[in-house]
Parts: sequence; C-alpha cells; structure tokens
Amino acid sequence: MSGSSFRSVFMVASCAGAALGCYLVSLRVASERAALEEIETEIVMAQRDIRLLQTEIGTRGRLAQLERWNVKVLALSAPAADQFLEGGFALARLARPAQPDALEAPVVLAAAPADAPKPTVRGLPGKGSGADDRGVAARDLLRVASFKTEPRPSSSMTINLTNQSGPPKPGMATRSSAAPSKKLASADPTPKSVRSARPARPADPLAPLPAPAKAAKESGKTQ
Amino acid sequence: MNAPSAALVAARPERLRLVGQRRQILAMMHQRLMLGMLVYAGIIALIVMRILYLAAFGDHAGRQGGITSLVPERGDILDRDGQPLARTIDAWTIGLHPGKLIGDKLDIARALAKLMPERDEATYFAMMRSRTKFFYLRRRASPALVEAVNALGEPGLSLGREPDRLYPQTSLAAHVIGFTDVDGNGVAGIERAFDRQLATPATRSDPIQLSISSRIQQALEHELLKAMTTYSAIGAAGIIMDIHSGEILAMTSLPQLNPNAAGQGSPEARFNRATLGVYELGSTYKPFTVAMAMDSGVIKSFGQIYNCPKELNVYGRTINDTHPFGRQCTVAEIMKESSNIGTAQIAAQVGSSRQRTFLEKMGFLSPIAIELKEKGRTLTPGNNWGPLETMTVGYGHGIAVTPLHLASGYATLFNGGMYRPPTLLKVGKTHPVPKGRRVFSEETSYKMRALLRLVVTEGTGKKADAPGYRVGGKTGSAEKYFNRSLLVTTFAGVFPMDEPRYVIVAMLDEPKATAATYGFRTAGWNVAPVISGTVSRIAPMLGVRPDKRREPNMAEVLPFVQEAKEQ
Repeated sequence: MSGSSFRSVFMVASCAGAALGCYLVSLRVASERAALEEIETEIVMAQRDIRLLQTEIGTRGRLAQLERWNVKVLALSAPAADQFLEGGFALARLARPAQPDALEAPVVLAAAPADAPKPTVRGLPGKGSGADDRGVAARDLLRVASFKTEPRPSSSMTINLTNQSGPPKPGMATRSSAAPSKKLASADPTPKSVRSARPARPADPLAPLPAPAKAAKESGKTQ
Repeated sequence: MNAPSAALVAARPERLRLVGQRRQILAMMHQRLMLGMLVYAGIIALIVMRILYLAAFGDHAGRQGGITSLVPERGDILDRDGQPLARTIDAWTIGLHPGKLIGDKLDIARALAKLMPERDEATYFAMMRSRTKFFYLRRRASPALVEAVNALGEPGLSLGREPDRLYPQTSLAAHVIGFTDVDGNGVAGIERAFDRQLATPATRSDPIQLSISSRIQQALEHELLKAMTTYSAIGAAGIIMDIHSGEILAMTSLPQLNPNAAGQGSPEARFNRATLGVYELGSTYKPFTVAMAMDSGVIKSFGQIYNCPKELNVYGRTINDTHPFGRQCTVAEIMKESSNIGTAQIAAQVGSSRQRTFLEKMGFLSPIAIELKEKGRTLTPGNNWGPLETMTVGYGHGIAVTPLHLASGYATLFNGGMYRPPTLLKVGKTHPVPKGRRVFSEETSYKMRALLRLVVTEGTGKKADAPGYRVGGKTGSAEKYFNRSLLVTTFAGVFPMDEPRYVIVAMLDEPKATAATYGFRTAGWNVAPVISGTVSRIAPMLGVRPDKRREPNMAEVLPFVQEAKEQ
C-alpha cells in the first residue's frame, strides 16, 4: 500500500517540481528580457539626447556664426599658393634649425688660419681682445687679418689660401672646404656674429669687415 | 387472517414508478454533473494554458511599450559630409483654453502681454472671453518663455510639444533645402521635391544626403554676399559643380533667406535665382559657339582669321564691341577680348540648325534637369530662329537660361564633352553617376582649356585668377531686356584648367559701379573677384593643389595673340 501510494505522491511532487523549475526558468528569462528592454530604451533615450545636443551645438556653432567671428576677430584668410609645400623634403627643410649652424661656422674658419696666418696672430696680442672663447678668438684672427691687409682682394686671397691649405687632400679639399664657407656666406647670422664682437673693441674701424664674408661667398662660388 | 393484502405484496404502482424515475433522474444528474465538470475543467484548462503561454511567450507586466528606435517625425537632410542641414525637433507650444481658466482673466492677460508682447493685453483679454475652445499663443516657444508661462500656474494655459522643423545652419543653402509650412509639409526646395520620402514612416528613418558641402557653400555665399553688398546688386546666384559626376557642391541664391522663418522673408528672397530665374548669358556663352564651330569643323585652329570691323551691320541690326578691333583678328583674340562681332560671324558659319542641335543636346532648350521643382523655362528665339538670331544667340543674346544651365553647359564642355544632368543628391551606391551623352568631341574639350585660360591670364577675366589654381573662364555682362542700363554680370569658370574638375558660376544681378572699379560695372570688375576669392578658399578643401608652375597647354593659343600684346 505504502509503495504504491508514495509512488503517486512522488509522481505528483516531481511533476510539480519540474513545472516549478520550468516556470522559474521562464520567469528568469522574462525578467532578463525586461532588463534588456529597459537598457534598450535607455539607449534610445540617450541617442535622442545626443541628437538634441548635437543639434543645439550645431546651431550655435553654425558656419555663418564662425564666419562672422572670423570677419570680426580672427581675420583668417585662405592660404596663398606659396604657403603649400611640395612634400616631406620641403617640410624638413623648413624644420631644419638654420641659426645654430651659422653660429658654428666661424669655428670652421678659425681652424683654418691655424697654420697659415701665424704672423697675423703675432700682431694680434698687441690689441688684446681678451676673449677666452676659442670661437671669438678665431673671429678676431680673421678680422685682424682683413684689417691688416687693407685691400679686399688680399683678404679674399687669405681666405682662399686658408680654404685650400686646411684639408690635406687637394681635390676633395676644395669641395669640402667650399661648402662650409658658402654656408657661412649665405647664412644671415654671420655678419651679426661679427657685429656682436664689435663692442669688444669700439675704436676699431670695422668698415671693411663685411668684405671677408662677401669674398668668402665669391670664393665659394668660384670654386 | 394475516393474509397479505394485495396492497402489501405488490408494490404500489406509483412507488415502482418512483424507483424507475429515480434511476433515470440519477443518471441524468450524473450526466449533467459530468458536463458541468467538463465545462469547468475546460475553462480552467484554458486559463491555465493561457497563463502558461503568457508565462512562456507573453509580455511581462513591467514592459514599457513605445520607443524602441529613433525615427524622427520627418526625415533628416544631411550635407555630403553628414552635417545636418534640416532636422525635426520637439518644440514647445503654448496654447490657451479659455474655458479652463480659473484665475482673474485681466491679471492673466496683463501677465501674458508682458511675456509675449506680440499681442496687447486687450487682445489677450478678448481671447479669454471668447467662446473658442483653443488658441495657439506661441508655437516654437523658447524654454525660458515656457518656464515663465508655467510659473503663472494657470490650468487654462497649456504647454505642449510638437515636432518642428529646424534648419541648424539657418540661411546656408536655404534655396536648395527649401522649407516647410507650419504643418510640416515641404513647400520649397528638397523639402518639396522629396516630401513623400521625408514624411512616409517607412522611408523617413533614412536621411537624405545631398551633394552640397556646407563649407564650400558657406565660402561661396560669403564671397557672393560681400560682392553683392559692395556693388549694391539686387541679387546674386552662385553654383559650384563637379564636372565629372554632375554633383552640385554649392548652390546659392541671394538675398538670403532664413528657412526657419521663411514666411518673414520677402518674395525676392524666396526666389531661387539659380534654377528658377532665367537670364541672358551674355559673353559667357561664347565658348559654346567656338566649341560648336570646332566640333563642326568650321574652326580648325585658334589662329583662324576673321574680319572684325568697328561695327558690323547685319540684317538691319548693328553689332558692337566693347573693345573694338577694327582689323583682322584670330579666334583666340576674339575670345580674349570678348568680341561680339567675331563670335557672331563664327555663329553664322555654324548655322542655325547645328546651333539648335548642340543647344538641345546640352539641355539648354528645356527646363534644367534637377531634383528641385523650382525650374525656370528657358527663353529662346523659338520659331523665329533666323540667321540674325543665330548670330545673337552665338554671343549669348536673345536666349535666356538659368545659371545652373550655364554651369551644366561648362561642365559638359570641359569634362571631355559628355552631358550629365546636374544632381543635388550625393553620388554613391544608391545614386550612381548617370550615363552621359556626348555633345562635344574630346579634342574640342581639350583645346578649349587653353582658350579659356587665356581669357583669365590675358583677357577680360584677369581679376578672377586665383594664383596657383589655374582658373579659366569667361566673363559675361548682359543688358537687361526691359532696361538696357541695367546689367547682369556673370563669370563662368573652371579650375584647375590643366585638368578640369570643378566649374564655378557666379552672377550678380544689377551691380552698380563704385569708385574702386573706376566707374566700370562689367563682369571683369565685380564678379570676377568673387571667383578668385572663392576658389582660393575652396580649392584646398576640394583637394586641388596650388601649383604656380602648372598651366594648360598655352602653346595652342599664345602664338595667335602676340600681336595684340604688342599694341
């Protein structure tokens, strides 16, 4: 009696349990779906807000308004044809720091007269430039040389001489030495550096001073 | 004695009947009970099944019906970069229900008159006392005003939201986009042409993408407006078009119109001069005549000589030149100095029938093929197309077309000779470039480049040159038909001329002379600088590289103008 009656009870219980389990699963699914729908709605609402804000910012920053600001305040204009660069090389050329190179250039010159115009160095100490920097001293050398040999061709000759005498190999030497001298002559800051040395000796008449630079340019060209 | 009575032995007949009846009744009752139980069980089973079904597949109680996707009330209109040009937003409306008012009407009327001064308090008071159920006090009210009205706390004042069309860029490309009426029906421009597509729920979720570029449009509008103000013109029109696809990148008509309040604009402002207005082209037409002559074999070289006297008397009419030659001149010179006399002779050689065929192929004799519904009917000599008319049409008089016709014609001439209808929709997968029809030969198209570049480098259009961008084009100044002292000045240009990509047309309606132009008011003085300014602004955006060393093959024309240069 007991077995059969319990069997039916078990049957009912297991059926009820299975039904309950199924129901719980479906409930869970339904609640998940509800949450998902809520998020979807939220997304749509957020999109609507974004759209609204975009519209507002677009209206406030409309092109006509930007144009008005440009006309009144910024005054920007279209770039001219010359402001466009050919490519990466042109850009790199613009980005190259030109000035430091030019400042270094006198050092190259100073190295040149080291062997040739020693007699002129001998004349120099009398003036006593007092510059402890080697670069400045070299510039002084150059200046004195040009000053002493008043006529311009002679000064240019000294530079030619220095250019040729500096490096050991003659064929290569002329080319390699011509390059820095050309750079020195073409770069703007060189006369400036000479001028900066001017306060050291105010009494010195510096009229022929730019001449060496010019001469160097010429020599660079001729070579 | 105790004999059983018959009555006792035999059951009484009514009793016997009773037993039989009871059985019957019992059986019936069982049946009925069973039926009732089955019905109940069925109903319960139905309910249970329904519940189970709902539990498995049905909606849940907390479900929010409604918004699952963002479909606007009316479709958006975008420019070619995706910037919105027209959108529908929810705007506030303020309404009045006179029957629901509970406060003091006079006080409310005073408060309303202070907040919305477009009506005075007497009008508000009269509205409140009237029997009308509802008034709109303000549509598209600002949030601040809505807040103030809400603060009055009057149930008779209702605040609502309704979809409203907003044009974020205001007057930008107003004549292209058009505008809607207060009920949201398109009444002009794209809004009108694509009204159904924009309003139908199935299609309005996809925005309409125009070929207009707002930045280019802005540049063109700004430069044109500047010229229009400087030269006191009554109107202006401008078009920039891609010559290969026929896409219109910018199209404007001035005076400006704010489509957000289109009703407040004047009829003059609502008029689209670019597609609805027809004008005599004047000299901008001459390149077509020369191209026709080259294509028909009349002109074999730009060095071909024509006799150009100071004035030409033909068919009882005198043709004049602004820069008379009074000598023999070449085709290149005729073009450079914009000689009517020379062009008339070329047109006469082309002949009436060939001229008409060419014009028809270019679409000049029919309304312009464009999506907009505002299209002007071209004016032609019609049946009176005699030899004299052929000559005048040759230099752009006696034929009136829209500025868009002109732009389309220049596109045809310089894209290799193929006519393609202009379009306002962005070319893409859904809207491919239409198959063109050939009008001019490729060689003619190529040779014309140098000729029009010559006009800008040496001739009447010098002020149109944007350095580095190789602009080529032709000036045109035509007198108005009803008043010969008024001019319509036009410049039709193409750039970059060595590899044409874009056509630009600018037109000023009735410009006046200023001190800066030394009293001149022809196209070379007022409308050509617009081209220069606009091209130098837009060309970098369009990816045209400025290059001062590139030019079209000028060797084709320069030898034939040497003499003129020496003079």
